[in-house]
Amino acid sequence: MAEIETIGILDEIQALVSDRLQVVSYKWLSRNFLVSSNVAKKLLQEFVEKHGAGLEVVYSLSGWLKTNPSTYHIRLVSQSKLAEAKEEFDNNCSLQVYSVQSCLPKDPAVLWNSEFVQAEELFKQPPDVDNCFRDNRFCGILNSFVKRTAGGGTNASTSTPQAKSTGVLGQSRNTSAKHPALAPPMQKKFQQSSPSISLHSPDVVKDVKNDSHSTGTHEQNVKPNESKGKVPQLPVNKKKGPNDKNSSGTTGALANMWGQASAKSKAENFAANSKDSLPNSTASADAQICALEDREYDDSDDDITIKRAPNGEATRKRRVVFDYSDEEDDESKEPITLASPDLPKMEPVLGSKQSSKSSDLEKDKLRLDEKKEEGPSVKKRKEAETKTNQTLKEESSTLSKATNTNTSSLEGNVNHVSAIGTNVKEKRRKVLKTRIDERGREVTEVVWEGDEADAKPDCQEVKNIDMTSANASNRLPVKKSPAVGMNAPANQAGKAGNKKAGIKDPKQGNILSFFKKV
Amino acid sequence: MEAMKVDSESRLLQRKQCAYESLDETFGIQKEIYKGQQYSHIYFTRLRSMRTLLYMLLPNWKPLLPVCTVLGLEEGKECIIVGTLYKHMKLKPSILDEYSKERSPVPLVQPHNFIHPDDYLILEDESGRVKIRGDAVLPSAYVTGVVAALHGKETGDGSFLVEDVLEAGLPHQVERPIISGEDKYVVFVSGLSVGGSSSNPLQYQLFVDHITGHLGDEKEQSIAAEIVQVVIAGNSVEMHHGLLNGQSLGMKELNRMSESIKELDILLSQIAAGIPVDIMPGPDDPANFALPQQPLHRCLFRGSSAYNTFRSCTNPHSFTLDGIRFLGTSGQNIDDLEKYSDAKDKLEFMERTLRWRHLAPTAPNTLGCYPFTDRDPFFIETCPHVYFIGNQEKYETRVTKGTEGQIVRHICIPRFSETGVAVVLNLRNLECHTLSFKIEFDTELEEEMKNRKNAHD
Repeated sequence: MAEIETIGILDEIQALVSDRLQVVSYKWLSRNFLVSSNVAKKLLQEFVEKHGAGLEVVYSLSGWLKTNPSTYHIRLVSQSKLAEAKEEFDNNCSLQVYSVQSCLPKDPAVLWNSEFVQAEELFKQPPDVDNCFRDNRFCGILNSFVKRTAGGGTNASTSTPQAKSTGVLGQSRNTSAKHPALAPPMQKKFQQSSPSISLHSPDVVKDVKNDSHSTGTHEQNVKPNESKGKVPQLPVNKKKGPNDKNSSGTTGALANMWGQASAKSKAENFAANSKDSLPNSTASADAQICALEDREYDDSDDDITIKRAPNGEATRKRRVVFDYSDEEDDESKEPITLASPDLPKMEPVLGSKQSSKSSDLEKDKLRLDEKKEEGPSVKKRKEAETKTNQTLKEESSTLSKATNTNTSSLEGNVNHVSAIGTNVKEKRRKVLKTRIDERGREVTEVVWEGDEADAKPDCQEVKNIDMTSANASNRLPVKKSPAVGMNAPANQAGKAGNKKAGIKDPKQGNILSFFKKV
Repeated sequence: MEAMKVDSESRLLQRKQCAYESLDETFGIQKEIYKGQQYSHIYFTRLRSMRTLLYMLLPNWKPLLPVCTVLGLEEGKECIIVGTLYKHMKLKPSILDEYSKERSPVPLVQPHNFIHPDDYLILEDESGRVKIRGDAVLPSAYVTGVVAALHGKETGDGSFLVEDVLEAGLPHQVERPIISGEDKYVVFVSGLSVGGSSSNPLQYQLFVDHITGHLGDEKEQSIAAEIVQVVIAGNSVEMHHGLLNGQSLGMKELNRMSESIKELDILLSQIAAGIPVDIMPGPDDPANFALPQQPLHRCLFRGSSAYNTFRSCTNPHSFTLDGIRFLGTSGQNIDDLEKYSDAKDKLEFMERTLRWRHLAPTAPNTLGCYPFTDRDPFFIETCPHVYFIGNQEKYETRVTKGTEGQIVRHICIPRFSETGVAVVLNLRNLECHTLSFKIEFDTELEEEMKNRKNAHD
């Protein structure tokens, strides 16, 4: 079997080189036939020994120079100059076949061309695909600390601290409450879609395992997820909270899995979420930049975001947290404006009715009525769905979790934050109050203060509307693709609503803050 | 099958790891505002911080001498004055020259630099300025913007005759942690000029393949596995500026513009997939011109920015690896010093900047610089263990020892596209060696020539 295969490859090389006049370099070979570079080099060597006659071979020579011992020299030489070049090297230099071609090109860059074209193709593949180019799996050196985020660079900042791993930054990471909220959904997704990932997932897992502490947490996470489905939502969430907090290490890897498993759009969306949450832990400029980019991504692909309504809520919350924790923000404006979006998340879950009531600003009354009626029904549906649908549970759990984490992380710092937490549990009244307070304090625009019911942020209303409408009108889609539905970012809705209302909304605040920072 | 077997047989090497800490905050510009603020603030803060420093040193240097301001100078009385040096240069190009109706007597362009034997120094503090004479201070060795303490006396013609000069000297250095036994390497490279006409893509591909562990046999890969960090010190990409003509570009041109960036992105992805890499902007990169240059935007690197190992950094770039402190630039500060002062090699310029405790004394005079109002980010507070500059003609390195036992490794990183040389530093002992790449084989041309020769014979 093995023999046959190598012979097959050798024949193919023969055909490529002599018939198609192609340059076959070891790297091209390794990527094309999915063997490691070292094997590819051996194959080429074998090929040269068997069929080398009449072909030009380029060797790579490397070693310390005789004349200048502080230089490690790497040189590509043709067969004819090999002996001569070897003279210049220290005795134990390494000699390997670099490429085989029918004739030596005038411009040495030609050697590089086919390889580059290949690399470019791999590079162009959608960002959530892990190919041999992306994970560098064919080299001779393993670096388990390298993490890649599928969402096009979104999560990079999360894992950076891990790479630094040496423990300098680890502590800050552990304290961050955001990761937990993200992690569970990702894992579930991963599990669900695991068959499709099967190829790549082992790699990822390996990576995770290399972080000693992370493996443990990983397992922890998995278990709670599974158990979740059977247990009522809130308690589960609470339990999870602490576990997840420890799991900082896993998130990066999880994100990877998520990215691999899910469609590109989802991955991006999630990545965005995670990004938003990240800055808290790292508080690095990078993270902030990332976050900005993510937002940009979100903005750019509208089609994706429109579909999902509730999931965005989770993101919102995280975002809020992030801004809060950001100590660099000296302006009180930002945190407050950011904080407002949090509430909306909760409301849809707990009681969308009242929020919908308040939303007379943007939507027609007819719609409002519908919403009112549907609000409760939505709840019921949700519950029903949770029983039937794992994913739905996830959603809700993530939501509640997020809230929990929110409160826990922020508790004691600011009074209105805690107020939010209580609101979550006790429902709207307090929420409304706090809202107003915040608004009054931070948002200088007086428009909103007029009616208390309306004082709720526009985006909130919009979200609710979207949720209800989505549920009411397209029940089927929601049920069918619960994940999508949940994910459907309130972001989008919020944006739209904000635009309509013409108010400075959290989004804008965020962007502004970004510019200030950078 | 066989491939698989071989794979499992040859055990993969593990790349070594290192604790990295970025110290770039001082070079970040958080809220960049151009509200008409002038550069005087920088000089003011520079003088203030340097003067307190120098005042602390004075008692050890010349305890008996009084310290004066420029205004308080009295003829014939020996004293010490502290202030900012200004170098009056005959040949210093001025934008006004181009507008003057008569051609100025001095040629606008000089072959080497703008130094002229008639140059003289002026010392300036808040109270006034005084011309400096004397052999103790050579105008050719100093540049505008350096703060120093001078010992001397005022002479009859209103100038200050210098007898001795005191510079701030090397800053305090945190003791270098002892790393025993293990070799860990940091690779410096600059001037990749990806997409440029002068660069050979095969050459930098070889570089990437070597450090990521593709090239060579197991022995070579075991060396490569000890590389813990790659630093790209500027000029990584060559943009086709010719395409920019002030008008909006068509799709084609835009694609061509972004081509080289994309190529660099592919290259960086390959590195980042294996090794932590820091990329600094350089004078030719698509970044801001004024120092400190801010990190290249991640949007430029869609592929590589997905890796946690990829870091886009500011131009003066400072970080620590396993407690060893690095400081470096893409070369602008030293290049500018070379234009306005003289030294025997680039390393001497570097040593001077450390002694002056200022990374870029010529900023903002002749070097673009953001008009900071509250601080001078180029003031060197802590002595680095490794000080590197990018984009130089050739590789040079030297170890300098300070009076307090500071040991600094200076490195000039050559332009890779021209020399094919990258610099490797061993963290264990701060020893340096180079990585050089060359491509050499008979091209058809040569063969043709030979054939012709043979035919003639």
